[in-house]
Amino acid sequence: MKNSIKTLVVAIFSVAVLFGCSQRTVTRVSPDQQIDLSGRWNDVDSKMVANKMVQQFLNSPRYQQYSSDNGKTPAIIVGYIKNKTSEHIDSDNYIKKFEMEIFNSGLADLVESAEFREKLREERADQQEFSSPETAASWGKEYGADLMLFGTMTSETDTYNKKKVVNYITTLYLTDLETNKRVWYGQEEIKKYIEN
Amino acid sequence: MRGFKVQVVILLTVFASCATYYEVNQEFNYEFEKGELNAANQTLAKKSKKLEKSKNRLLYYLNRGVVLSMLGEYEESNRYLEKAYLYTEDYQTNYVNEAVSMLSNPNFVAYKGENHENLMMLYYKAMNYLRMGQYDNALVECKRLNIRLDQLSDKYKSDKKYQKDAFIHTLMGIIYDAQHDYNNAFIAYRNALEIYKNDYADMFGVSVPDQLKEDILRTAYLTGFQQEYDLYKKEFGMENYKYQRTDGGDLVFFWHNGLGPVKTEWSINFAVVKGQGGVVNFTNDEYGFNFPFPVSYDKETGKSGLEDLEFFRVAFPKYKERPTVYSAANLSVNGNQYPLELAEDVNAIAFKSLKDRMLKEFGKALLRVALKKAAEEAARNEKDGLGAAVSLFNAITEKADTRNWQTLPHSIYYTRVPLKKGEQHITLEMKGNKGDQKEEFVYNVKSGETIFQTFSSLDYAVKLYP
Repeated sequence: MKNSIKTLVVAIFSVAVLFGCSQRTVTRVSPDQQIDLSGRWNDVDSKMVANKMVQQFLNSPRYQQYSSDNGKTPAIIVGYIKNKTSEHIDSDNYIKKFEMEIFNSGLADLVESAEFREKLREERADQQEFSSPETAASWGKEYGADLMLFGTMTSETDTYNKKKVVNYITTLYLTDLETNKRVWYGQEEIKKYIEN
Repeated sequence: MRGFKVQVVILLTVFASCATYYEVNQEFNYEFEKGELNAANQTLAKKSKKLEKSKNRLLYYLNRGVVLSMLGEYEESNRYLEKAYLYTEDYQTNYVNEAVSMLSNPNFVAYKGENHENLMMLYYKAMNYLRMGQYDNALVECKRLNIRLDQLSDKYKSDKKYQKDAFIHTLMGIIYDAQHDYNNAFIAYRNALEIYKNDYADMFGVSVPDQLKEDILRTAYLTGFQQEYDLYKKEFGMENYKYQRTDGGDLVFFWHNGLGPVKTEWSINFAVVKGQGGVVNFTNDEYGFNFPFPVSYDKETGKSGLEDLEFFRVAFPKYKERPTVYSAANLSVNGNQYPLELAEDVNAIAFKSLKDRMLKEFGKALLRVALKKAAEEAARNEKDGLGAAVSLFNAITEKADTRNWQTLPHSIYYTRVPLKKGEQHITLEMKGNKGDQKEEFVYNVKSGETIFQTFSSLDYAVKLYP
């Protein structure tokens, strides 16, 4: 009888000693690898949506028509993407992914965002005073964008017991800066089913 | 045998001290509650070496952080709060300690903080950064808070548990708001609103602060969410709301009213009723508890180590409230009154969190007692006297975990006050049953700036210990 209890106590201790202090392990993985943990919006989603949507508009007949009518490679500025979801999504990062896709496509030129333009102007103003005239960047040569890309993100959540479906919808508009005419209009959804 | 007894005595002194965590830190508590913050800081500093190595180091970091923050040493305060944060991030279950705690008491396990404490820690840290004007750093804390909130809501499957914190969402909104990031502020405020409506009203009797409603409308307007703006105006019954741009700044004032609860212990007696097939039931009629435990038993004799037990005592933690002296407060600026609204009832959250997991606590405590009793029985059969010694050891070591963060406020109130540019005088008026108290504040307001202020009234109504 006493043996069985002794065994129990001994067993607890052996388990304790065996596990000891568990080690935290960290493994490096490829940034392209898709890892979903919580089911919330993550880096893979940003990448996926940015890639798909940019391809969508670059290949759309309307954009191509605009491009050929324009006579030169259209210059695009990525405005803002408003977040209406219930999550804090790093929109800066998201916007940069769009910019990168556009830049790398070669089918459009990219113009700096308002924030960066301010910084560049400051630097240019600085140069007028302190740089040698031959090397100083001159004023009035900024490249004007033809098109502006902006949009919103929304999410719809449906839950029942331990199941949850979240649908993230990104809607983007590509608008002609001169005429306010919409050149392209697209929507991309990412639907996630999470079971606890 | 004699040598063994000496060992037992030594062990007992090591393991046993029937004082609660609050009593152990009486010197610090006394000074802190009196508002002698420098002395309280010194008391902690004196013991820092020992405390930093102890199993309660998290509480040391937190208390130090609070005291330094109240002293206005924000940078130093954040050094300790960061240590606390990293400690909870890297916390690893130490199974040896877990096992020892099973055979003695739960104080053998390093303290890793209650859920709400883990959030409040980052609240203090963010506030320190805001007061130093380091908004980007405050945003880092915001992001950490977001992760912690997500982890918390993933933790429980049931909706009826404290798993979402409305105040922390509000705070995040306020931080984004101060940076003029109205889009993110709106999201945070809207999330807070949902939690106040769905959880806080029922669980803690805290309703949606009017300030939050106003902030939602303002940020919706500034983000250009016209649809949401109209919708919430209707929902809040604030059809007349109109956003007005001012050339001054804002003051966001947090009032920490009183002090949060303290953990003490209570114990109940269980009777052992033998069930069938090696199951032993621990029952307590008074509370209607019945916990069955499978116990290994000897096949030949059909006996288990728990046969001879009839009664025993199990200790559990419980919270003891420190009721507040003040029931309300408002800010008065240029003849205008701004009531401070209850945003977080830390006291109620603490009670609720412990209640939420009490069944788990019961299970743990009973398993602990069962193991201890089993060891005692084994020892009793081994040698004369040994069993008695183990029994004594068990009785003395039976203790609940009474550790908690005791420098947290009882409840947090807040409001936003628009201020004109230049020097501004603000009065905080606190109303209590023992008379009113006033505090004056002076700010030099710049255009578009958000000033952050916290004020802690440490008084509470009932003395905990003589």
